[in-house]
Amino acid sequence: MPVLLTAVVLTFVANQFVPGDPIMTLLSDKSGDAALEARLRAEYGLDRPLWRQFLSYLGGIVRGDFGLSFRFASTPVIDVIAPGLLVTPLLAGGALLVAVPLGVALGTFAALRRNSLADTLVVLGLVAGTSIPNFALAAFLVYLLSVRLGWLPVAGWGALSQAVLPILLLAIPPTAYIARLARTYMLEALQQDYIRTARAKGLRRRLVVYRHALRNTLVPLLTTIGIILGGLLSGTFVVETLFNIPGLGRMAIQAIFARDYPVTMAIVLLFTFFYSGINLVVDLLYGVIDPRIRLAAPRAGRA
Amino acid sequence: MTGPVAPTAAFEVPAAGSDFWRRFRRSRNACLGGALVVLVAAVALGAPWLAPRGYEDTDLLAVWAEPSSAHLLGGDALGRDVLSRLIVGARSSLLVAACVLALTLTVGTLAGMVAGYFGGWVDTVLMRGADILFAFPELILAILVAAMLGPGTGTVVVALAIVWWPGIARLTRALTLALRTELFVDAAVVSATRPFRILLRHVLPNIVPPLVVRASIGVGFIVMAEATLSFLGIGVQEPLPTWGGMIRDGLVALRTEPYLALSASAALGVTIIGFNLLGDGLRDLLDPRVRDR
Repeated sequence: MPVLLTAVVLTFVANQFVPGDPIMTLLSDKSGDAALEARLRAEYGLDRPLWRQFLSYLGGIVRGDFGLSFRFASTPVIDVIAPGLLVTPLLAGGALLVAVPLGVALGTFAALRRNSLADTLVVLGLVAGTSIPNFALAAFLVYLLSVRLGWLPVAGWGALSQAVLPILLLAIPPTAYIARLARTYMLEALQQDYIRTARAKGLRRRLVVYRHALRNTLVPLLTTIGIILGGLLSGTFVVETLFNIPGLGRMAIQAIFARDYPVTMAIVLLFTFFYSGINLVVDLLYGVIDPRIRLAAPRAGRA
Repeated sequence: MTGPVAPTAAFEVPAAGSDFWRRFRRSRNACLGGALVVLVAAVALGAPWLAPRGYEDTDLLAVWAEPSSAHLLGGDALGRDVLSRLIVGARSSLLVAACVLALTLTVGTLAGMVAGYFGGWVDTVLMRGADILFAFPELILAILVAAMLGPGTGTVVVALAIVWWPGIARLTRALTLALRTELFVDAAVVSATRPFRILLRHVLPNIVPPLVVRASIGVGFIVMAEATLSFLGIGVQEPLPTWGGMIRDGLVALRTEPYLALSASAALGVTIIGFNLLGDGLRDLLDPRVRDR
């Protein structure tokens, strides 16, 4: 909650700090027209004292109303960003669907072959995946897949083939991140007593890995889903700019250049709300999924 | 570090002596990372002498030129020499990283030490502030600040410093809390040393190693974040060359002239991998928990 409120206050203050008078910019060549100026100021609520402006900003946000756009006169921000509301979740969701299974599979693969050549190669790839920004990787991938081989379109949005490369690029950093963690957790889990017990009672190695070790690998991974989603949201700024995809990320960046601050702030707010919400859900889920936490909590309370 | 630092059993201060260097040389990752970082730093420092042409000089005949003996990596949209801009770009990248690091370390360490040492409401206020900043996704917070201040080099530095100081402050606070119960701090308090003197002469020297590790791991991320902001166009502005901006410009012409985007991407990738390898290597060397494994 304090995070959300801070975000709201920050974006409001940011709007005040912004250089230039938005009404003057909107008026441009009609800047001599005092009546029009007064009407616009009233419409945007900029003629009221600051605290009234803040309260109506706050009240509006609760109702899903982010005010009016500075670039498109008299157009509500929500209408400006509406076309992107579906695009960005589609990208991020697609990337998540690729990253989680692939990351866990790669991490498990490497952990089971610890210190072998395959393990070293995977780990090297993962270091590169987390180190190199995805727009730098994009240069190589787009050059190879689109320009050289001509398999996929270079940019744009609308067809399924145009979504493949952006989702793939968006998925690379989280995949590498998840795989590194999965490898570490898997190595840790494999050294536990219950694994030895399971092996000792004659269970097959594969069954032990998938039934016992993997399950205990997934629990700590779940706590990182917030970080992963945060990274994905940030990644959409880059990938959408890169591929000219009409999503929220590109809109926010374009709005910065157009000095359409209400739009940028609304998108930042939306992302922050979503991110905080996910983190809250993860915190709640954690106790549900791992019985050790649920059981440990009351005991700690009694002590 | 010439202060009267009493020896402590709980906190091992790794001397920058022969033992450290011997182990540093044995660590393959640290060496490779260190070599890459030194290389990039040398290029950045020597940029004015290394760059074959001025980074602003335009040459109409070199617009999107193929690599040739005159322009080893070709020219960009304005006919500027790509190799020269690549070399000077190392400067932008490292300069921003150095400024951000200096700012975050100063603010973060100070805030963390003060919060951890004095406790009470100072602690609450500082750490709540850090918590709130911590709760934003990093890049989104940076973009918010950038939107507030307008694009530019100073903006990048401030934005990234705002994003990074809470992490340093948290670490410093935890370390300071652990040190506060040490005998040599008690001794200093009893001998009526002023609090800030205690922090600077007795606490600070003992928390330097973990801070060095943290900072060295952070540099890679800072370089990456600077490049990202510049790629989005809200970072370092033209005509100053940045790798992020060069990649953006180069991607437009990827079909016909891939050298700009590919070379800038490679330079950026190598730099970040270098810093990350060095950071991981240093962590393994200086963190006793990892080292003894």
